Amino acid sequence: MQAARDIGKRLEIANLSKTYRSRSGETLQALGPVSVDVQAGEFLVVVGPSGCGKTTLLHLLAGFLEPTAGRILVGGEPISGPGIDRAVVFQSYALFPWLSVVENVEFGLRRKNPSARARREIAQSYLRLVGLQDFANKGVDELSGGMKQRVAIARAFAVEPSMLLMDEPFGALDALTRRLLQRELLRIWQEQKRTVVFITHSVIEALFLADRILLMTCRPGRIKGEWRIETQRPRDVTSDSLVAMEREIYSLLDEELAKTFAQEALPSPD
Amino acid sequence: MSAARTIASSARRTLPFFFAAACIAVVWQLVVWVTHPDPSVLPTPRAVVVEFGHLVTNGELAADTAHSLARVFAAWLLSALVAVPLGLVMGSSQALDRVINPFVELLRPISPLAWIPLAILWFGIGELGKVFVVFIGSFFPILLNTIAGVKGVDPTLLNAGRVFGCDTRFTLFRRVVIPASMPAVVVGLRVAFGTGWAAIIAAELVAAQSGLGFLIANGMDVLRADEVVVGMIAIGVLGFLFDTFFRYLQGRFGHAS
Repeated sequence: MQAARDIGKRLEIANLSKTYRSRSGETLQALGPVSVDVQAGEFLVVVGPSGCGKTTLLHLLAGFLEPTAGRILVGGEPISGPGIDRAVVFQSYALFPWLSVVENVEFGLRRKNPSARARREIAQSYLRLVGLQDFANKGVDELSGGMKQRVAIARAFAVEPSMLLMDEPFGALDALTRRLLQRELLRIWQEQKRTVVFITHSVIEALFLADRILLMTCRPGRIKGEWRIETQRPRDVTSDSLVAMEREIYSLLDEELAKTFAQEALPSPD
Repeated sequence: MSAARTIASSARRTLPFFFAAACIAVVWQLVVWVTHPDPSVLPTPRAVVVEFGHLVTNGELAADTAHSLARVFAAWLLSALVAVPLGLVMGSSQALDRVINPFVELLRPISPLAWIPLAILWFGIGELGKVFVVFIGSFFPILLNTIAGVKGVDPTLLNAGRVFGCDTRFTLFRRVVIPASMPAVVVGLRVAFGTGWAAIIAAELVAAQSGLGFLIANGMDVLRADEVVVGMIAIGVLGFLFDTFFRYLQGRFGHAS
């Protein structure tokens, strides 16, 4: 369809942290401080035990939350609130059930494209990109989970964001659908290079997708390890080098899981 | 094949209702046979069928039904026009909710029937008083369901709306909150029609010259129990049909969320 457009922007995260304060005045540090630089068009995957602040990080990047300290720059500009330049793909799809498939993809195009006809054409072309052109007028509730997530991916790419934030997008899907969608996502991303921050708790998924993997510690989430993967895509995650990397990530992850377990045994701070 | 299945499944759904109706008729007939009541106290099913035919052919039943329905529709629409916007606003503004909610909670327990005397004093026995009573009866179900609908909107959908271009509270409200709460609003409208239907009959029993409630009250005054029962059956069947119709709408437009 279109020529590859590299319009991803650089993401700079500096000393970012988030502390929640409960009503009784107790504080809980969920994240940070975290500093990362993500290159324009880079595919960053963040892995960590549950409750490590991965989702907090993503919500800060999306602008759903205000950081307690630190800053986030996208293309050198500080972010203010949620914006269409940082499209989000949610684990629960978050499609609008009162709209048809194509209307869901059109939803974000209102701002830039006043013409309804142009919006429909763009939406159709992105549906074609995820192979759902024949489902344009179906209701969202008629789709399977994997198809819903493809619509959500089309919706996110359609607004031509500089960044794509993906919050465990394939976490609710069965293993085979998940495999299929990982491939589709890579194909689309290679065609239209956006900067991607992808959250997952699957190490294999991270190895398959990432340019770079970040491993986070348990609460408060900090960066524990970093791996750059140069292997050409599509990757064979059973290759010696990736298996070795997997083993290394798991050994560090296991340390964190043990700590999480110990934390949970203590009385909860909230 | 699929047509046969449709017929079979609709028969499966409607059959229990016919069974229930037949049971009521049988028990009723048995009571008549055993106790030989005076027809002015309890008519035979047969007398009711005859009276039903009579009221249909002379047009009285149709006229009374039309009057009752017109009142309910007018009042129900009016209360929807007030309660839906108010509920949408109360559901999304905590400050407004805190101010208005006490009024709602104080007025809500007062049955619409308790308003009938005041309605008569204020508006006489004309149409306005009856519309007022039904308005009270249908207002709160719509309001409360709408508020619950707005408060129950999935926060992830709100986030998705904010990401994909709703950058003011108003656009988010218009493009996400309102459509997302529609299923709850439809539930409110359905429940409200039922409560409104009950209220109009009560209002017409007390003060009216037409309507199904009037038909019943009149039947009592002239000791015509058969007329009373015809009115009761009409009320039950119509209420049931409208509820079924609204459930159908709910299925069509009440997307699962």
